[in-house]
Amino acid sequence: MRLPRGIRIERRLELPRRTSAALSAVFILLSFLVASAVFEMMGVNSVRTLSTVVSVFLSPPSLLQAVQRGLPIGLAALGLSIAFRMNFWNIGAEGQIYMGMFAATGMVLIHAYYGLIPEPLLMLSMVLAAFIVGGAYCLLPGFLRGRLDVNEILPTLMLNYVATLFVDFLVYGPWRDPQGFSFPLSIPFPQYARMDSFLGHSSYLGLLIMVVIAFLVYGLMQRTTLGFEMRVVGQNLEAARYAGISIFRTLLIGSFIAGGLAGIGGFTLVSGLIGRLRPRASPGYGYTAIIVAFLAGLNPWLIIPAAVFFGGLLVAGETIQAALNLPFAAVQVFQAIIFIMIIVAEFIKRYRVSIRI
Amino acid sequence: MSLVAVEWIESVLIGAVQAGTVFLIASLGEIYAERSGVLNLGMEGMMIVGAAVSFIVTNALGHGYAILAVLLAGLLLGLAHSFLTVSLRLNQIVVGLAITILGLGLGGLLGNAAIRRGIILFLNPEAPERNLIVQEAEKLPDIPIPFLRDIPVLGGMFFRQNGLVYLSLILAIVMWFILFKTRFGLSLRSVGENPAMSDAMGINVFRIRYISMVVCGMLGALAGSYLFIGYQPFWVEGMTQGRGFIALALVILATWNPLRAILGAYLFGGVEALQFRLQVLGVAAQLPQFLLMLPYIVTIATLVLLSLESVRKRIGVPASLGKPYSRE
Repeated sequence: MRLPRGIRIERRLELPRRTSAALSAVFILLSFLVASAVFEMMGVNSVRTLSTVVSVFLSPPSLLQAVQRGLPIGLAALGLSIAFRMNFWNIGAEGQIYMGMFAATGMVLIHAYYGLIPEPLLMLSMVLAAFIVGGAYCLLPGFLRGRLDVNEILPTLMLNYVATLFVDFLVYGPWRDPQGFSFPLSIPFPQYARMDSFLGHSSYLGLLIMVVIAFLVYGLMQRTTLGFEMRVVGQNLEAARYAGISIFRTLLIGSFIAGGLAGIGGFTLVSGLIGRLRPRASPGYGYTAIIVAFLAGLNPWLIIPAAVFFGGLLVAGETIQAALNLPFAAVQVFQAIIFIMIIVAEFIKRYRVSIRI
Repeated sequence: MSLVAVEWIESVLIGAVQAGTVFLIASLGEIYAERSGVLNLGMEGMMIVGAAVSFIVTNALGHGYAILAVLLAGLLLGLAHSFLTVSLRLNQIVVGLAITILGLGLGGLLGNAAIRRGIILFLNPEAPERNLIVQEAEKLPDIPIPFLRDIPVLGGMFFRQNGLVYLSLILAIVMWFILFKTRFGLSLRSVGENPAMSDAMGINVFRIRYISMVVCGMLGALAGSYLFIGYQPFWVEGMTQGRGFIALALVILATWNPLRAILGAYLFGGVEALQFRLQVLGVAAQLPQFLLMLPYIVTIATLVLLSLESVRKRIGVPASLGKPYSRE
């Protein structure tokens, strides 16, 4: 479809920061309106649904839950902010979260069955293992892209399912708790492998981890040569080649860190929220992370509140299910509408649409 | 071989066709979208909306209207996708994921008991009480084809199925013909190959991409409706279970060719059918997960193979896949 005569789309100059932030805010408010319209059309009481969402953020206990749900989302999104800046379209955060859960649980099992890891070091080893295994899992698509120029979108997407099925295999098979009445669950983690054994509620330690990692990601991208190289690779491959940057090496390191951070997100899920490994433990945190990374404009500091917001949506979803007898899907619809509004807002920030007759 | 074994193998083969038809219909749509240069990651969402709509409308007005409503829903989703990616030139990955999430949400809402009841009564105030409550819908009737249905094995696989199975096979052949033997197909392929040059040659790039995305949306939704009324007519939230993404994988395995998609679809369908039947037999409890991983791993392997320049040239991978086009 060629655009009707008189309508033109032109690229805009960079908008001032304030205007751009205000535009985002307007569009997020708009998404509340659109969501209510959709809910009303389906005969769902939109005021009650949306006020449930808002109330999550007003009471401290549910706010803590929102942070808890926001942890895997935020950590994965921090990883994605690196990958996307590199123009590496990792859609595999979901799978990397599963691999992180697998690695963290593996450490607990090694500790429990073989006693190889001393108690005080267990948590640290879980975090490290989750980082390494999650990172290694993202390394394969990174390698394929860097060496063979295979686009990463489909490999990362496909590996999500492989990881989910692999965890299914473990909990239905060799890792099933022998005392678990044949439910597909791993053994429960001992208290010292749970995040809430530090600082009380697991969201405190989690928030701390998230802030530290946001700081590291910010430092990496803005203050180091490697971060600079990653941004150049993302913006202009030709320039990167001309400047003598090893694109292959940059892609490998970047994809490893991105996957690793999602892996740590998986760690927070088993060690914080659930306390054991179970099948389908992530209801799509890795996909939500993509929305969060976009909402935050790939800015590590903004990712934290954005992740908590989406964590809150999930908490609200559970309340809506229980209190209003609506499916969890209501929250998904809301998520998607916010997502679409954000990308439309991005378009308006970049282009000017003018009508001349 | 014993007779039992022969029957078992026949049942797996029939199951492969029945399960594979979901993948076939969806991947035919996706092939058109990708051949024109648009990657549609919204397939999963389009499918689940199709399944939900067919569930509701079948219970309200019957199969005929259900298929019409499904096609309309797919058309709208395809239009939305192409408006955002073709006209506004937004990132195809982001838009596709948004549509998938939206579709999963809408599908869940539509399937909800209270909402469903409201919509069914709105569509047909005289709908029987039973139709308002049930979690299922009447399955599409099988239409056995005289004489051919009695051919051993092949009869069961291809000639004792419902209308959508036949339709999917006809569609594959027709869509192959249009894509490779007509002027329109040539234009469509050249748009995916080099939009700027096609534009210079007077082909309307935007119109071709709109058309192929709308076809893709309609077939995606139709695939979802087949999954529900043609295959497993029992509603479960999120019942597509990633089949939309398998269809995307299948497109690669079929190297963007509608005829090869038939084979690939039955192969992936066979994996699903085999896994069910092995579980029933209780053979190797751990096997199913690894069996189910196969389609994904095969896809990655195919992608690697396609990265070789020589293979790429011979097969004709759309060179501009995923890149928005503007005339600046």
